[in-house]
Amino acid sequence: METYLLLKVLWWVLLGVLLMGLAIMVGMDMGVGTILRYVGRNDAERRVALNIVGPHWDGNQVWFILGGGAIFAAWPLIYATAFSGFYVVMLLLLWTMIVRPLGFEYRSKLPSPQWRSAWDWTLFVSGFVPMLVFGAAIGNLLQGVPFHFDWNLTSRYTGSFIELLNPFAILCGALSVAMSVWMGATMVMNRAEGAIRERAGRIGSWSGIAGLLLFTLGGFWVSRMQGYHLVQGPDPGLAQTPLRQVVERASGDWLANFRAHAILWLVPAATYAGLLAGLAALRKGASHLAWWLGALAWVGVIGTVGAAMFPFMMPSSSEPAHSLTVWNSSSSRYTLAWMLGFTLVFMPLILWYTSWAFWVMRGKVSTQRIESDEHAY
Amino acid sequence: MIDNTVVELSRWQFAATALYHFLFVPLTLGLSFLLAAMETVYVTTGRDIYRRMAHFWGKLFLINFALGVATGLTMEFQFGTNWSFYSSFVGDTFGAPLAIEGLMAFFMESTFVGLMVFGWERLTRAQHLIVTYLVALGSNLSAVWILVANGFMQDPQGAHFNPLTMRMELTSFADLIFNSDAQSKFVHTSIAGYVTAAMFVGGISAFYMLRGRHMELARRSFRMAALFGVLATAGVITLGDALGFVGGQAQPTKLAAMEALWKTEPAPMPFNVVAAPSQSARRNLWEIQVPAALSLLVTHTLDGTVPAVDELEQRAAERIRNGIPAVAALKRLAQDPADAQAMAQFRAHEKDLGYGFLVQRYAPGQDASKATPDAIERAARDTIPQVAPIFWSFRIMVGLGLLMLGYFILAVIYTLRNQVEHKRGFLRVALWSIPVPFIACEMGWLVAEIGRQPWTVYQILPTWMSASTHSVAYLAFSLTGFVVLYSIFIAIEMYLMVKAIRDGPDPDGPVDTVPPAEAAAGPGMAGAAMPFASRWEG
Amino acid sequence: MATFARFLVYLFIAVCVIVIAVILGAYGSWYFAWLVGTVMMVLIAAAGAALLDTQEAEERRGGGH
Repeated sequence: METYLLLKVLWWVLLGVLLMGLAIMVGMDMGVGTILRYVGRNDAERRVALNIVGPHWDGNQVWFILGGGAIFAAWPLIYATAFSGFYVVMLLLLWTMIVRPLGFEYRSKLPSPQWRSAWDWTLFVSGFVPMLVFGAAIGNLLQGVPFHFDWNLTSRYTGSFIELLNPFAILCGALSVAMSVWMGATMVMNRAEGAIRERAGRIGSWSGIAGLLLFTLGGFWVSRMQGYHLVQGPDPGLAQTPLRQVVERASGDWLANFRAHAILWLVPAATYAGLLAGLAALRKGASHLAWWLGALAWVGVIGTVGAAMFPFMMPSSSEPAHSLTVWNSSSSRYTLAWMLGFTLVFMPLILWYTSWAFWVMRGKVSTQRIESDEHAY
Repeated sequence: MIDNTVVELSRWQFAATALYHFLFVPLTLGLSFLLAAMETVYVTTGRDIYRRMAHFWGKLFLINFALGVATGLTMEFQFGTNWSFYSSFVGDTFGAPLAIEGLMAFFMESTFVGLMVFGWERLTRAQHLIVTYLVALGSNLSAVWILVANGFMQDPQGAHFNPLTMRMELTSFADLIFNSDAQSKFVHTSIAGYVTAAMFVGGISAFYMLRGRHMELARRSFRMAALFGVLATAGVITLGDALGFVGGQAQPTKLAAMEALWKTEPAPMPFNVVAAPSQSARRNLWEIQVPAALSLLVTHTLDGTVPAVDELEQRAAERIRNGIPAVAALKRLAQDPADAQAMAQFRAHEKDLGYGFLVQRYAPGQDASKATPDAIERAARDTIPQVAPIFWSFRIMVGLGLLMLGYFILAVIYTLRNQVEHKRGFLRVALWSIPVPFIACEMGWLVAEIGRQPWTVYQILPTWMSASTHSVAYLAFSLTGFVVLYSIFIAIEMYLMVKAIRDGPDPDGPVDTVPPAEAAAGPGMAGAAMPFASRWEG
Repeated sequence: MATFARFLVYLFIAVCVIVIAVILGAYGSWYFAWLVGTVMMVLIAAAGAALLDTQEAEERRGGGH
């Protein structure tokens, strides 16, 4: 029993790690897409910005795919309920995401300025919208989503899609966009020179300030919104469904974990530390450091949401007793154990070869290099 | 319960997006290995022409790859968005291979494809070769895990239904991945990808030979494609037979539909070469038969029999009757998990739970225990998939496969004699046959997935239960969106592909007239020593 | 020392390959067949290209003299 409990918590942590990986790596590429038209004023400059993430966007995107796969395998009820409940928004995310590979791959295949400009707009949309939706989805999880289950666990979403785009969700989406712009801007600074680097520094600073403000505002909002707490349910170490628990909601409940364990305040503090120190680093032009500090800030943002909600993962606003928690929505012990084994073997391997790929492609990207390479984006 | 139109539209959407995705996958699976083969020759002989080949085919590979990746995203998310009951019901088992695919294969493929494109100047030749092999291995390992997941839908092995959590739970990881359906289907699919790539490379090389352009590149590419293709086609046919054998035992209803068998006959059974199957009349309106051939083809013996529709429907009706108490017991367990009597009843009937689910559709109030004999008969009829599309897709696939075998044998003969550039008629055939393997691959997908109906997980979970509880409007919206987006994508892709082919390999690069022996100034010297040297000397 | 390290690395890879081959051979014979078959197809395609180079070189020599 205890091992099952431990596995559930471990997979909750691993899901967090995957979401962080997704936010940091995919967010970086999407941030570059979002600011592409700003940092690059002409075609040559835009190509520099694109080729900075060019060798890596495809590998990075797998964080997103793996995130989906891991939720499917380790948290099937959440995968089923969230993805179908968020249907229209999910399609928005999907459709904007699937034009991104084409934007990278096809944009520079033809010389026509209209062609390239059109793809630059798609790259903007496919950077901006997915990050907005990503943040908004997390915002909706914090507020609770209107769904309930039948006797056989058929999930039914009873809200409309427009209520998924409520003010708080938009605020979370904006925070996510700001953070992704930070990551994208610092990455562009790492590998570009001259005017592009300067513009990236400028928009990076603004995104950092916006991130700080939005995170603070969001924090106050969360501290006053209706949170959830588990009054009674089956033993956390047992296999269970979300049909037999008692859940109550009250304003300020999302701070309960912080009140119980003061050390958790370090998690949101990491966001502040990351962004404040990052802004200072950016002012000195230390963009590599600023990138890493931005990653720390992302860890703080996602960690804060996790710390506030634990053990909830997807609370139901219409039928709180059907809320999905770490205890009632995970896969079986056997599956979690196997998946953990694969993760322990392959995750270090992935980190190793991803860093190797970044190391191979290190150094500045210049316009001359791009023009001499027929494969360049 | 779920609106029937929603289920149908969800099926159409999944089928359309999967078939579309599968236009790009086979070429990736095969071309990646052909690229690796070309680069292998480059690294071992040092001849520059093979580097240029790897570059040129690499360019086409990437145009195709981008759409493969883009449309693959849809597949990963569509289980959750449109098949949410399916996802929660089998996620414990089915999700695992998908997640492992990401961890083990897709990360590798995608990370190294970036280096394959951008790393020519930054890696040594040996390093770049390894990177190319890792891309090929990664894309094919992806296929392994996807087909392990698909194998579970076709022949659910290694999992068991847990009535307390209402889902299939993994009980044996080894049974899941070594499922013989998954194994043979993976090899069949992967190698079908090799055939696709070989036809593609051969056809485009033929185009250049017809025009007398890029002869060095075209001759070598054609030679490699022909050899690769003839072996691969032989492999696909062998594996197709194995898959028929494995699948026929696991899924007799699919086999009966593939062969349009309505009445069980004593051995040796005749083979329907062509027929006009009618689902409503439950017989073939006409047929052309070869005596005894079916027993030989399917069971590899003369005295083997294959159960036909009539017998399969009877068996299904029996299993439905046995499954009804299982559903009733499951409902009681959902009320009270401690109900020992309900658990005992469930255990006694659990192997036919899926059939109990199946009849709910026709039972009054969707309550299986109120199912009338008429409802049971209708549900039993449902267990037979649509015969005509399966029968014909299967025949088209097999016919095209045999044609391609003939084509490749001729191709090998001509290229080994160095005559191929003079056989203009043959070259034209090669060019116009490029779509053939793509059609064959799609047909194979249709046989496999229509043949699995009415189940999403064979004999466990009916398709009509699996869909998400959406409104028709949602489905109309998403289906329209996919059709519009995907139509634009294919137009752009085809345009860029044709343009890249017409432009040919590096237009301002070195010309063909340089004798290969001189162009290859000392193997092992050029690239390896100077990783940052400029690539285009010409 | 460097040689020894390299030897160890290759030894490790070889052991891994053998273990994988044994497992595949025992439980996943079709997977194993795919592995062997793919290697064979790639090598034969590569050898065919090399043969073409030789054939052309011979033709040229034959034509030149």
